[in-house]
Amino acid sequence: MRTRALLVATVMVLAAACGTVPRERSDLVTTKIAVRSDDVGAIFERYRSVRNTAVGLLDAKPLSVVESGPVLAIDTGAFEVASRLDRALPKDRSPSTVRDVLAPRFAKYPLWFVAVSSDEADRVGRVQVYQRESAVDPWLLVASPETVSDIALPGIRLRHGGAARVATGNDVGMAESPQGAADEYAEALGDGGDGVQIDSFLRQMRRTAADNAELRDVTFSQTWKAEKVEHALRTDDGGALVFATLERTDTFKVRSGRTITWPAGSPQRAFLQQGISTSGTLRYVHQVLLQVPPKGRIRALGQFGGVVAGDGF
Amino acid sequence: MHTRLGWLATVVGAVLVLGGVAVMVVLGPDSRFTTGPHEVDTDTSAVVTAPRVITWRGVRVDVLAEVPVGKPVFVGLGNSVDVEDYVRGVRRLEVTRFRTPWKATTREVGERPVLPGAPTALDWWIADSAGLGGARMSATLPDETVSLAILSVGATNLSGLKVTMAYGVEGGFARGLAATLVGLAALWGGRELRLGRHLVVDHYLDDDLVDDPSLDDVEYLYVYVDEHGVEHEITAEEAERLEREGEVDTVVEHGPAEPPTDEPTPDEATEEPTALPGVVTAGEIVAREDAGLPPPPVAEPQPEPEPQPEPGPGPGPEPAENPGRVVYVFVDEDGVEHEVTEDELDQYEVVDDEEDGR
Repeated sequence: MRTRALLVATVMVLAAACGTVPRERSDLVTTKIAVRSDDVGAIFERYRSVRNTAVGLLDAKPLSVVESGPVLAIDTGAFEVASRLDRALPKDRSPSTVRDVLAPRFAKYPLWFVAVSSDEADRVGRVQVYQRESAVDPWLLVASPETVSDIALPGIRLRHGGAARVATGNDVGMAESPQGAADEYAEALGDGGDGVQIDSFLRQMRRTAADNAELRDVTFSQTWKAEKVEHALRTDDGGALVFATLERTDTFKVRSGRTITWPAGSPQRAFLQQGISTSGTLRYVHQVLLQVPPKGRIRALGQFGGVVAGDGF
Repeated sequence: MHTRLGWLATVVGAVLVLGGVAVMVVLGPDSRFTTGPHEVDTDTSAVVTAPRVITWRGVRVDVLAEVPVGKPVFVGLGNSVDVEDYVRGVRRLEVTRFRTPWKATTREVGERPVLPGAPTALDWWIADSAGLGGARMSATLPDETVSLAILSVGATNLSGLKVTMAYGVEGGFARGLAATLVGLAALWGGRELRLGRHLVVDHYLDDDLVDDPSLDDVEYLYVYVDEHGVEHEITAEEAERLEREGEVDTVVEHGPAEPPTDEPTPDEATEEPTALPGVVTAGEIVAREDAGLPPPPVAEPQPEPEPQPEPGPGPGPEPAENPGRVVYVFVDEDGVEHEVTEDELDQYEVVDDEEDGR
């Protein structure tokens, strides 16, 4: 019995020694997880610092070092509105608590990751996408749809230690491909899209469009267009979580002698202070977080957007 | 079994001792193996290992890059995805193959003369260091594909670069020493096993016997066992005679029972055809006749027990106070006894029962 114990002890010592001896890696795939969870705090802190600087200056220019794409366009619009209306923006709008980090694995740049955070004060949650275009670029916020703070997001499938991505044109196992879902949702906003679950955002947009269409002596038209989808993750059930950017264009043609205007303090009024007497256009950008199920209707979980431009006379 | 274990322990021990000594000699007390400085002939602004050139993990690597006249230099270790993107298009010396301690195959690639940004401003380096005239970086290779980069900072290049590298294993010398000690122990254990000293198990009984003082005076007892399994003590002379005739199996009993062992040991007695002492097999009789030997003694049969007379009905036990008294009994037609006095005898026909003594 003791002989066996001696042998077992020897084998254990050898095994322990082998476990600590350096050895060659069997997996030499050149990939990396977009970000380590420990580094996300610093990224958020940098964003908060730059944003507060921009808010203090009431100038959106500093935001270009922490934001990009639709988010920068929407925030620039918000700064424009605040500046024209001489209204201060709240500071420290960044999320207070990072609840989850979903970082895919990449073989090359650009890298991106999703951070799920919540702001207890505002009672909202944010599902944000940060992207790094190249090794020398900083992390930029490129999507930031807002949800109610207690919404339950679908579980994300993991692959090789990272969140699984979905090719934007891939509809295998899903009701729609990510790009198809974005297109379907944009169509639903224009009164089409049977494959979309009707939500409060859809109802609000349709009601606004209907109200504008009822304006007397005004010809109103509205278009929705989905931009190219770049960020989509595979959910546990085989579906997808899609970050879609939608462009909305409202066109007003007013009969001669008439003028339409918007309430004081509204973003539309900021861009079209004199109102529209002949024709005018308002451009909006909306970011929508869509859940695409394996089967069934597409559902919007959150949105973020606003007026980004306006012209007319 | 023990011999095979002994050889196994010996081989394992020898391997451990050789490996442990080799590790101690190569690494030294600081657990590092140093090579260099090696001159690197380049006028580019970057020397970078290609992806998949560094294949090890867990190795402690120290890199000292030295450049003349106090030029700024940077040394960094980063994931190959980051490093490749960073130096893409930059004119650089790429290490495409590397063998320790220092055997590198290189090629010059890229056209852009300068890096896209200062390496010191990047946040994805796993380990990095910068300095004027030289920079030293230390890192343990992680479990991911990494590249090592030596970069010039600013408008300079890496002409006159010298690189010194050190490889080490954290606590490597101590591990080598431990392996050597374990190997020596295995060698000793293997030798003991091969010599039949079973280290622990089989010495248990013998050690007890050797240490038992009561066994100094041994008393021999000779026993003959008949076909019923009954033991009969015999003299030494009778035992000697039976032994000469080959009719005995000698069994030596030591008193205390043997402790149970894990594995059954082969018993020579069980390999021979067994026969009870005193019972001669037919094979043995034939063998004796063939050898011209007298037939073996056979135990005499025991007399069969005679049938005992069945006890008949009789009087109960006599009173102890009058042992000489004669009792007269009248037995009626139903067989019931009635005791009568001597005076009443003339009324009965007397039958004397002498068998019972009455």
